Formats: sequence, C-alpha cells, structure tokens
Amino acid sequence: MVVLEVDNLVTKYKLGKRTVHAVDGVSFKIDAKETLGLAGESGCGKTTTAYSIMRILPENGFVDSGRILLDGDDLVPKTEDEMRDIRWRYASIVFQYAMNAFNPVLRIGKQIIEVMREKDNMTKEEAVKIASDLFDEVGLEPGRLMDFPHEFSGGMLQRAIIAQALACDPRLIIADEPVTALDVVVQNKILDLLRKLQDKYNLAVLFITHDLSVVAENCDSVGIMYAGNLVEKGSATAIYKETLHPYTSKLIGAFPSIIGPKKRLEFIPGSPPNLVKPPSGCKFHPRCPFAQDICSTEVPEFREIKSEHFVRCHFAGELDLGVE
Amino acid sequence: MNTSTKPILKVENLRKWFSVRQGIFSFRNEDKYVKAVDGVSFEVFEGGSMCIVGESGCGKTTLARTILRLVEPTTGTVIFQDRSIYDLTREELGKLRLEMQMIFQNPFEVLDPRLRIEELIGEGLVIHKLEEDENRLRQRVLQSLEDVRLIPAEDFARRYTHELSGGQLQRVAIARSLILKPKLIIADEPVSMLDASIRTEIMNLMDDLQEEHDLTYIFITHDLAQARYIGDFCIVMYLGRIAEMGPMEDIIMNPVHPYTKALVSNIPVPDPDAKRDRIDIPGETPTPIDLPPGCRFKPRCQEHGVKCEDEEPELVEVSPGHWAACYF
Repeated sequence: MVVLEVDNLVTKYKLGKRTVHAVDGVSFKIDAKETLGLAGESGCGKTTTAYSIMRILPENGFVDSGRILLDGDDLVPKTEDEMRDIRWRYASIVFQYAMNAFNPVLRIGKQIIEVMREKDNMTKEEAVKIASDLFDEVGLEPGRLMDFPHEFSGGMLQRAIIAQALACDPRLIIADEPVTALDVVVQNKILDLLRKLQDKYNLAVLFITHDLSVVAENCDSVGIMYAGNLVEKGSATAIYKETLHPYTSKLIGAFPSIIGPKKRLEFIPGSPPNLVKPPSGCKFHPRCPFAQDICSTEVPEFREIKSEHFVRCHFAGELDLGVE
Repeated sequence: MNTSTKPILKVENLRKWFSVRQGIFSFRNEDKYVKAVDGVSFEVFEGGSMCIVGESGCGKTTLARTILRLVEPTTGTVIFQDRSIYDLTREELGKLRLEMQMIFQNPFEVLDPRLRIEELIGEGLVIHKLEEDENRLRQRVLQSLEDVRLIPAEDFARRYTHELSGGQLQRVAIARSLILKPKLIIADEPVSMLDASIRTEIMNLMDDLQEEHDLTYIFITHDLAQARYIGDFCIVMYLGRIAEMGPMEDIIMNPVHPYTKALVSNIPVPDPDAKRDRIDIPGETPTPIDLPPGCRFKPRCQEHGVKCEDEEPELVEVSPGHWAACYF
C-alpha cells in the first residue's frame, strides 16, 4: 500500500532577485514497511525534498508545484494549521544531530509527553505510561525518562528522538542522516532498531543520507539525486549491480569499501552546478564522460528502462559503465 | 610507496591523563583522571602512512596532539628524527614543528577568513622568517598552490576563503603545510567533512604528494574503510590503548582482537547483496575514568576468560608485524 507519493515536486529558494531550483521535478512512492533511501552529495536537494514534505523549509523556500500525497491526501495546498496537525501524527522526522533536536533545559520525557498531549489530548498519566513503554521499546531504561539531554550519550539521544517520532503513531518517518554523527557500532544498533520498529508499526521510511554504504545495507529501494533531479531510482540491487546512470556509477566508484580488492578510487572531475543557473539539458552533462550534443540541449526524461528501474539519461541502457 | 626501515617517529609508553576537578565543594583531595592516552608505543617508518583508527573518545586525537607537543604528556617519550621532543626548548620545538605539520578536519576553522589565500599559505614562511624576499615568497606560494593542483595559481592566490569550496579549502590547508617542507604530516580526519567524490580527490592528491615530496603520514580517522585506501599500517585504539596494530590489509582481512573483529564487521559496505555477519558489542564505550583492573575491553567482550579480570594484556606479536593486546 502506498503511504507517500511525491509527484513532480518542484521546490525553490528565493535569494534576493534570484531563484535557486533546489528540487526540480522529483517523483517517487513509498509503501508501508518500505524504506526508500535518497542519496546524493551536499546540495543535491535531498534534505530540501524531506523538508518540503514536512513543510519545514526555511522562510525563503517554497513548494512551487507538484503534489505530495500522504495516504492519498495532498499536503501541498494545506494551511499551516492543518500541517501542524499532520506533523508527528502522520509524518515524523528524525534529524541528524540528536543533541540539537532536544531543548537542553527541559527533561527529555517532558518533551516527548508534550508532543503527545498537544496532539492527542491525553492525561499526563497516560502520556507518561506511553512514553515509558516507548523508551523500553527503543532500548532505553524507562527510569531515565526524566533525565536531561546532556545526561544521555549520542546514541541514547538518537534512540530518544526515535521514541519521540513514534509517540503519535505516524505512518511515515523521514530520517535525515539519522546515524551520520554516530560511531559505526552504535550506528548499526540504531539502524537495526529503526528496521524492527518499522516492521512492527507498518511504517514507511524515507531515509536520507550521503553514505552509499549505509543506503546499500538498509534500504529496499534507492533514489540517487543530482542537482535537484532524481537521476536514477530502483531496487537497491538494481542501483548497485545494474547501474544505468553515469553519475550513479561514478558516485559508487568513489566510495571506499572494506571488502573486495583494493583499488585506487576514482573521483568525478568538476563540481556540482550552481543551481541559480543550472546547465542546459542534462544537468550532469558538463561532468559526464559520455556526453553527446543532445545532452546539452535536451533535458532527458525520467524513463522506466527496466521494471521499476527509472533513469534520467538520454543513453540509459546503451552505455558501458563498467558495472559487473 | 617506498617505506624504509628507518623509524622517523618513535612513541614510547606515552600517557596523557587529564585531571577531573570534582567541583569547588569537594574537600576530599582525591584526584581523578580521564586516561585519554594510557601507555601507547609505536614506530612510524619513513615514507610510510600510518592510520590511527578508533571510535569517538578512544584517544586518537589526544595522541596526535601529544605527539606534536600541543599538549604536554603525563609520562612517556616521543623521538622524532633521533631527538626527544619533550626535552626541547621552546625555540628548538618551534623549528622542529616546521618538519611536523598538522592538518585538521575543518578547514573553515583553520583558515582566517580575512586573509587572502596567498597570505594564508605564505604565513608560515613569514612567521619563521624563512623567506624575506617578497618575489621569491610569492613564487613559492604559487608553486605550492600548483602542487595541490589549484590552477591557475595566480587566480586562487588572490581569493579569500569564502570564494572557495570545502575541498579547495582543504587543499589550501595542505599547501600551507607543504610550503614549509615538512617530513611528517599528521592529518586529523582530513576528509570527514567532504562529499564522497571530493573526499576521494583529496585522498588521491595526498597519495601523490607523498611520493612527490617524500612525506610520512599519520592519519587519524574513525572510518576504517577510508583508512584502507590511505594507509599501509593501521593502529586500532580502544579507550586510550592500542588494541591491535599491523599492516592495513592484515587488520581488515584477519583481525585478531575481539574489538577489531567487531569493529570491522560493523562497517557498512556499498553492496546490497553482501551478507556479512555482524558482531555486536554490547553497551557503549565508557569514559576512561576509574577503569576496572584487567583488560579494558572485558566488560563488553564476548570472548573473555578469567585471566582478563586481573591483568591488562600487553601487545603480543601474532604474526610478523601484527600485534594484538588480547590473551586469546
């Protein structure tokens, strides 16, 4: 069952008289119990996509066009008051820096309970009961519910944030680099926890990260973003083993791995384009080794090349990208 | 890489304990210490690149700072090119620091935003009065920019830090060290802030520079996958001590210490079909205050026996050049 459907989303930022095309026609769907990983380099628009869904963009950012359907209900035309009602109850977000997500002078439990009482009008006792159960569920001692944020380690705070995100029983969780600031061992514990809770509560998860290794191990399907476009989307195996877009293959080639033979890693020459004045045609063409004339004149469409495997490239399927 | 057999740096039994004040109302004068670095010995060979790997709080950064004598050690010696660093006077140390440079994680914090790139790069030469002739100074700055492939150099020299990207700034930081003709560069998470592609670009650049300028590297990183591509020798630290050290591929392919085994098994790989067995480490890394006697990894170790309770294991050579501090 489709929980979230994003259809041709365009999000822009105003910078004085100029406009930045941060997200430029992104479409994807996420089912219940499915995890979609959205990966790409800094500035590719992955976080802006997430913030557009939650409508927590900075003041100069706005959704220009497109639809965001949560359980079939379009979020784009909703008023701010209606969005307030949707956040936490239908869609929650888990941020990268757990230490900044909590107010440092309020007890953690209080901040979790606050959300529930605001949303669901429950008594304090009920809320405390649910919060304690959630703490237990995410692997924290319920006895520490009333600790202050500084008394928790980074991993514990990330667990507490997840407990808070689950407090109102949402349908969708957006995890924006949820484990990037953590050590690998703790990282895996948090990811395992997220997966377990996802199964139990039937959640759809939108997982945003720059780390292709974490995506490979934790997502069912993967979308690769470049300069505001989704350039390739498919099952994790399709993306890594049957790569069709030159950018995806270059990005994967730049990632170190501790398995397989050690070879000198390749990087992508040049840098991502300025999104105030993006290149014409395919935005990747100035850096693409396969670029032809058509690439600089015509914008490639996001086409389904194989079943459920979408690519935005004129020559998708015709290039030899050197994938096994 | 042509690693010689001559150690350029020798660290012996280095300890750095930070005392923890108990607050003004504590009348009992029992000093407590955070044992950030607690008895570390190793050698770095000329032309080698050594990686110090470990999780947050394992003491890797403190170790680097103590080696450079940015902080004074509690006990121990560091010998750099046959001279003991802790016996030098201030002036001698200043001179020696030219040969041991450090590169930090965040170039935005290192480089003064009010100076031009050429001033930033030439700063070391000016401060140490190594180049008084202005024309020659400028030539050397431009050369240094070209060394780190910031071309056209004249163009970059005139700019300010806000006009450069993160990857370019890290190159400036490298150029700034390189111009002093160092022998040893200690790089503390030099690429952690950067995107994958730029990260690879900088790593490859540092690899090339090592050959071109006969450098020895010490890399400090939390990321073992990255370490594999930049280092030939690896030290894994846990709570201020070396858990295991040896040739890089040996550590990754055949780890011996239970901590290294778990660490390696937990590193994600960019392959959705790679089914790897993960070894869990229960609990979280404790703070290194009042550690129990015996092996410091014992409380979280899956394989511990009786012997681990009483005595801290010493490093033992398990295969040529590969050492581990574990009884099993």
